[in-house]
Amino acid sequence: MLKFLKKYWWIGLIGSLFMVGEVLIDLIQPKMMAQIVDEGILKGNEGLVWSVGIRMILVVFLGGCCGILSGVFVNICSQHFGNDLRKALFHRIMNFSFEQIDDFTVGSLITRTTSDVTQVQNMVSQLIRGAVRCMMFFIAGSSFLLSLNVAFSRVLMFTLPIILLEIAFVVWKSGPLFTLLQKRLDRVNSVIGENVASERVVKAFVQEKSEIEKFRQSNRDLADSRFQVQLLISWMRPVMNIVLNTATVTIIYIGGMEVEARRMEIGSLMAAITYLSQILSGMMMMAMIFQTITLGVASSKRIKEVLASVPVIQDGKEGNIEKRGGSIEFKNVSFTYPGHHHEVLKDISFTVAPGQTLAIIGATGSGKSTLVSLIPRFYDVTEGRVLVDGEDVKNFTLHELRDRISFALQKSEMFSGSIEHNIMIGNPEATEDEMISAAKVAQAHEFILCQPDSYDTPVAEAGMSLSGGQKQRIAISRALLRPAEILILDDSTSALDLGTEARLFKALRGDYEKMTKIIIAQRIATVMRADRIAVMDKGRIVGMGTHKELMNSCDVYREIYDSQLRKGGAKV
Amino acid sequence: MSQQLNIRAESVGILSMSSKQSSSQNWKSISAVPQPSLGRRGMRGNMGAPIEKARDRKGTLKRLWKYFRNEWRYVLLLCVTIILGVTMGVMAPRFQAEGIDRIKNSEPGSLKRVLILMLTAYVIYGLSTLLQGFISAKLSQRVIFRLRGDLFCKITNLPISYIDNHSHGDIMSRMTNDAENIASIVSSSLSSLLSGMLMLVGTIAMMLSYSPLLTMLSCSTVMLTVLFTTNITGYMRKYFVRRQKLLGKLNGTVEEMVTNTRTVTAYNRQEAEVRGFSETADELTKTGIIAEIIGGSMGPVMNMLSNVSFVVVAVFGARFALRGDISIGVISAFIIYAKQFSRPINELAQLYGQIQTALAGGERIFEILDEKEEDKSGGSIVQPVKGVIEFRNVNFSYVPGKPVIRNFSLKVSSGKKIALVGSTGSGKTTIINLLMRFYHVDSGEILLDGKSIYDISTDELRDAIGIVLQDTVLFTDTIRNNLCYASRDITQEELDEAAVSSHCDDLIANLTNGYDTVLESSGSNLSQGQRQLLTICRAFLSKPSILILDEATSSVDTRTEMCIQDAMTELMKQRTSLIIAHRLSTIQDADEIIVMDHGEIVESGNHEELLAKKGRYHDLYMTQFAGQET
Repeated sequence: MLKFLKKYWWIGLIGSLFMVGEVLIDLIQPKMMAQIVDEGILKGNEGLVWSVGIRMILVVFLGGCCGILSGVFVNICSQHFGNDLRKALFHRIMNFSFEQIDDFTVGSLITRTTSDVTQVQNMVSQLIRGAVRCMMFFIAGSSFLLSLNVAFSRVLMFTLPIILLEIAFVVWKSGPLFTLLQKRLDRVNSVIGENVASERVVKAFVQEKSEIEKFRQSNRDLADSRFQVQLLISWMRPVMNIVLNTATVTIIYIGGMEVEARRMEIGSLMAAITYLSQILSGMMMMAMIFQTITLGVASSKRIKEVLASVPVIQDGKEGNIEKRGGSIEFKNVSFTYPGHHHEVLKDISFTVAPGQTLAIIGATGSGKSTLVSLIPRFYDVTEGRVLVDGEDVKNFTLHELRDRISFALQKSEMFSGSIEHNIMIGNPEATEDEMISAAKVAQAHEFILCQPDSYDTPVAEAGMSLSGGQKQRIAISRALLRPAEILILDDSTSALDLGTEARLFKALRGDYEKMTKIIIAQRIATVMRADRIAVMDKGRIVGMGTHKELMNSCDVYREIYDSQLRKGGAKV
Repeated sequence: MSQQLNIRAESVGILSMSSKQSSSQNWKSISAVPQPSLGRRGMRGNMGAPIEKARDRKGTLKRLWKYFRNEWRYVLLLCVTIILGVTMGVMAPRFQAEGIDRIKNSEPGSLKRVLILMLTAYVIYGLSTLLQGFISAKLSQRVIFRLRGDLFCKITNLPISYIDNHSHGDIMSRMTNDAENIASIVSSSLSSLLSGMLMLVGTIAMMLSYSPLLTMLSCSTVMLTVLFTTNITGYMRKYFVRRQKLLGKLNGTVEEMVTNTRTVTAYNRQEAEVRGFSETADELTKTGIIAEIIGGSMGPVMNMLSNVSFVVVAVFGARFALRGDISIGVISAFIIYAKQFSRPINELAQLYGQIQTALAGGERIFEILDEKEEDKSGGSIVQPVKGVIEFRNVNFSYVPGKPVIRNFSLKVSSGKKIALVGSTGSGKTTIINLLMRFYHVDSGEILLDGKSIYDISTDELRDAIGIVLQDTVLFTDTIRNNLCYASRDITQEELDEAAVSSHCDDLIANLTNGYDTVLESSGSNLSQGQRQLLTICRAFLSKPSILILDEATSSVDTRTEMCIQDAMTELMKQRTSLIIAHRLSTIQDADEIIVMDHGEIVESGNHEELLAKKGRYHDLYMTQFAGQET
């Protein structure tokens, strides 16, 4: 973390120096005030009152300038620091493997990049400004006070420990309280969120009353928690006030005796009262500095966790591996998700020659998606090897490997921006004609033309109006636009109606003949035209061959066939 | 004497800010679940965030007041303690002035008495602020609890059409952000605002009693402060609004890219996205620095202005003292009064934005509270429900002029299995919406066991119907509670049996804690297919007379679906069932298949009859198996 601050530390230093200046000027004023009282009023010297007054005004302005400048420098320092940190985080996250993103969870990565950075940034600026200010008020303030009269040290000795104790108490108590408050707020919000999203179910099962009861409990907890926090905060001010004011009374008492004994003047007594409150309020500031630091340290821990995680999947060493039309080979591949025990793929071996189409069919959870995600190294195999163009995928640089593969995902992911932008992600250099022809093959062209601004329609807004099938077709257009050797469709046509799907595959066979294709699907009708079909069951390939062969040899395949085409199929 | 009474505002501000800040993040993380769209309205409560104004501030205040009026005992008590506190607060500096004058005039004997008075005043003042804190904490706890509760009740009782027509993000924002904004303003600054106002009045009175001229002089610098704050906040807002927008954009980018990381990775877009992110981040930093510098100079400038007022009091006080108009003690009292006077004004200036935002939020909350509730009225129905459903010439449109259901008539006799097929948008799901009384027909009648469904209370109507919806909705709770959603008194045997027949048993057995496994964030850790199985099991357990399956098995693979089908055939034997399905294989054995198009019935009959007709159903059927023949 300090590494990021290195570049800007001197700006921060200037900022803190200005802060020192501001505090010193704040502390000089009571002294000047004392001069006005002692030498001006008591001695009847009005000229001195005016001249000191004018000097005070000048000093005040100087102090103001110091304060502003300190803010300027501290801000430049902390915000640049935060910016660098944020960028480094995002860069790191973008290069994470999926398992790492899954481990951290999307939500937590978002918080870490946004609010955690802000928190650390606040801590830096608070440390430079607040801590310096607080220390200065304490150290310089005390010495100014004692320079007036050493007798006041007694007051400081009594009050400081009390204030410190109070701050320690509040800081110690508030941490867990706030965590609890936050947790309960989360709970309330999540109950609300679920109910808004699931109102149909709540109503259909006539559960309004029980949901209200559930909410009541969370709401009660939250209200109690907030009450606790409020109580804690309520203590701070009165105790502080009583201590401070008792100290003031004591100062007047001691000062009274000192003035009586002619050891000091009355103006100095008035200055002493001001110093005391400045010192104590400096101490009180510590409470919030602690708060910021606690939050900041927690955040910086979370940030460090991300920065310390090295992407699991690293580049291979060889560049420029010869393109051989996109052959794929699995050699005795087994796979277990990192951190899990359950083996998802067991001893998988097969080859797909360049230009061939392999379809994969099988039950939910049989390992189809996992299998294809090993090809672009979304995950690395646990055992065995995966080869693309005859070379182990681990030898490619990730960039080169993934450039050879075009992947349409199971869940079509949309980006904010126009439909065009979303398709062009496949190949930012493509021409408009290329884009449109890809969309035509994907059966997306027609519905896109029906959108308000056709290809320029923003997806974020249309997000709700675009159906699952439409999103899938945009995602497929994106995949088709990519100049790759291998095309993988991971159950990416599941939301299309059957007619559209049939047209899509027909067009695909014609226009993308040369690409090696792996198609995952649920429906027999989708897969039966493939050169070969792999049937997966519980992590194994239990059958491989053409439709006809499998109908004769593979029980699982026949069962799937029956489940989809039974009764009617034969009669057509 | 400078900060004497001024400390609380800052420190508490920080304490409460931290909770507020995280609450808005937290809202976001939740909103991401029901509504992943990017245009969100979060982050409203933040410092320096754009201020919105309530359209009808008075009305909103009035309605908020109603919540306080119910707690009038606490309000009264609060007022009494505040008045006591303020009196002591303004009296104490008076004693201090007297004390200093006694010292000056060398009357040490009477000094002690004055000091004791002063101490007493301060202690009472301190105690009363303590009490104020307690009372306002209690008061706000009660008020906010009720407000939130009312709001939640309202949400569950709103008609489905309201939820369908408003973005979930917006409703969430009202329930969470807006309520939270009000909560934090009420709990953290209600009593300090009230006491501040009174303090202002008391202080001015005291100052005037000493010296009207010095009062005017010291007030003038305070006025300067006010002028400055109001001007600079207006100027500042511009930058804060821009910063907020950029921050939103940045957060949006992170959210989008991390969520879509698979695509980003698969398409080698990492570097490009990092570049885009950096641009926004740099712009944000630039704007942020300007905004923070302007915002950050508020502190020093206010400090400077308060120092100016210190100087004014010192210099002019000295001059008046020299002329004998006032005593030295009065100068020291004035230094305190000037602080006491400016504190509430500064506080109000700082809180102004927050209050405005809270009021605007309050207005939105009351808007929801004013919404009409779902009509649940109706009588009871003869048990057991036979399950005879009849639609008579039903017409319906979501948007006037765009009919979705046209002249729809259908009679389903008890225990029959009816399938609705047709392309997307043909009105299948709408039929279910009408039958469930989620929406009200425009014209025509729907009858259950010969009684209009509008004469049956929604509770009884919906109790009679079990439904498995297109969207698989699960709750963040244990599997058991999710399955036993309709009724908690289900025995373990029944549960096991239902799990087996809906093929959930394997899935549940594989979970670490079996039935007691808690589903994370609405079950997002399960696959779509697994979620569907659980919702089917839930419907099994609600033992309805009528079963509705709306694309219930679309994400389950066909082999598993077939198994479930067998179980369902068992389940549906005695019950009327309505099935919507894409896959025609699912519904071939239905007693009657209704083919819908544009809200009308175009064909009906059983599978064989419809195939023989060679009409719309035949076409659908053929495309289903396109690729098989030819």
